[in-house]
Amino acid sequence: MAGVGEFVEADNAEAIITRIEHKSSKIESLLRQGKHVEALKTALEGSPPNTRDERCKSANWIVVHRALMAIRDLDALFSSLDPEYYDILMKYLYRGLSTGDRPTCDQCLRVHERLTQKAGLGCILRTLTDTVNTV
Amino acid sequence: MSAVSVHQLSQCITCHAWSPDHSMIALCPNNNEVHIYKMSEDKWERAHVLQKHDQIVSGIDWGSTSNKIVTVSHDRNSYVWSLEGSEWVPTLVILRLNRAALCTQWSPQENKFAVGSGAKTVCICYYEQENNWWVSKLIRKRHNSSVTSVSWHPNNILLATTSTDGKCRVFSTFIKGVDKRDSKASSSSEAKFGEQIVQLDLSYSWAFGVKWSPSGNTLAYVGHNSMIYFVDDVGPSPLAQNVALRNLPLRDVLFISEKVVIGVGYDCNPMVFAADESGIWSFVRFLVETKTVSSAPTYGSQFSEAFGKFYGQSKYGASNDGMDNSRQGGVHHNCINCILPLKEPGVASVRRFSTSGLDGKVVIWHLGNQEDLLR
Repeated sequence: MAGVGEFVEADNAEAIITRIEHKSSKIESLLRQGKHVEALKTALEGSPPNTRDERCKSANWIVVHRALMAIRDLDALFSSLDPEYYDILMKYLYRGLSTGDRPTCDQCLRVHERLTQKAGLGCILRTLTDTVNTV
Repeated sequence: MSAVSVHQLSQCITCHAWSPDHSMIALCPNNNEVHIYKMSEDKWERAHVLQKHDQIVSGIDWGSTSNKIVTVSHDRNSYVWSLEGSEWVPTLVILRLNRAALCTQWSPQENKFAVGSGAKTVCICYYEQENNWWVSKLIRKRHNSSVTSVSWHPNNILLATTSTDGKCRVFSTFIKGVDKRDSKASSSSEAKFGEQIVQLDLSYSWAFGVKWSPSGNTLAYVGHNSMIYFVDDVGPSPLAQNVALRNLPLRDVLFISEKVVIGVGYDCNPMVFAADESGIWSFVRFLVETKTVSSAPTYGSQFSEAFGKFYGQSKYGASNDGMDNSRQGGVHHNCINCILPLKEPGVASVRRFSTSGLDGKVVIWHLGNQEDLLR
């Protein structure tokens, strides 16, 4: 996969936001059923990092935040989360830490500790150095 | 463990190069001089000090057939040193740079050398017999930022460069009068000087340490985002693979054979990568095995304090007392920034190589007892 993904134009942003809203309702139903890990995976899937539109990013962050705050069992999360989600989860964790909101930061720190043990320092490096695909 | 010998030659080594018979080593001890050490009776003694540059010497290469040393420095100059009698005599090469020179390498036939610089240019220097001096031709286009590393293709014409704009590029450096057109070679040899053959845009962060495989078919380079990139069939339609690393980024790579690469960097421990039969590259192992406890994080003491503050707990400081040896158990204590092969004549794959780092050590590694790597 050599080459940069194209940036999504503004008119496609509406399509992305609609998709995020669909995702949000699916996540709500998963959370009601108690499937927290599934909910987080759904939230992380199809994250639109290659769009410059801030609304898309914020919309997706709200959805991920909702799923993230509902997580209680970290062992279950990491035993079933695929490694391909590590980098994108780490990016959202840093976004959460930047909000400064106490409960969000507490939860993000808890998950960050376990994610670093699992994924290693390389995951943090990829988050910090990637200024193009931000969340 | 495959380390054969550890030599503390300085407090900090910027770069090093070996003489053709591997009896002498030229290194820069993080200042404006180049020290040449000779091994005699199991001890290293300093044979020569080359003092011509005004600022730190950022690149050294020692030609294995011509026995000439090229040095480049942050003072924007380059010297070619020839051994006359027992003295090294410098020849200034005017590079026409307005920023520091960062890296250099002799071409395979040693009739040219390439210099990467912070001026977003690459200088290709060749010797003009009539005027008895070295001429430099610049590749000014294409790079958007400093050129961190250069590497010659075995055909003496193609040059790969990596830059802090995250891209790896391959240029043709054909010079009339110095290079000969190969009539049966591929179309890339018809390109003019400075023409870009391919640009690889795989990394979003600084790229370092590009190297060609022995056949010239595969390219490997590292990104500062803890990833290593392998590109096969470099040309109009390359096949690229990204391998994400668990740990800190690498700085330099070396091809041991067509299918095995050693990477060195901020982990202070060489990492082995290999391609399987289908050509998929992956991380194999570290060269120095350090004992790790699976439950506690395996970071050295410098990280445990930071993590302790981050997570607001004191357990990290206490449980990592035993882990403090994980850094001392390794061979290098600081970033390894240079890896060079020690090729034996007549042997195709590399069995011995040397690494030097910011801790001032030069370590010679031997892969003799690791049969799985020496296929």
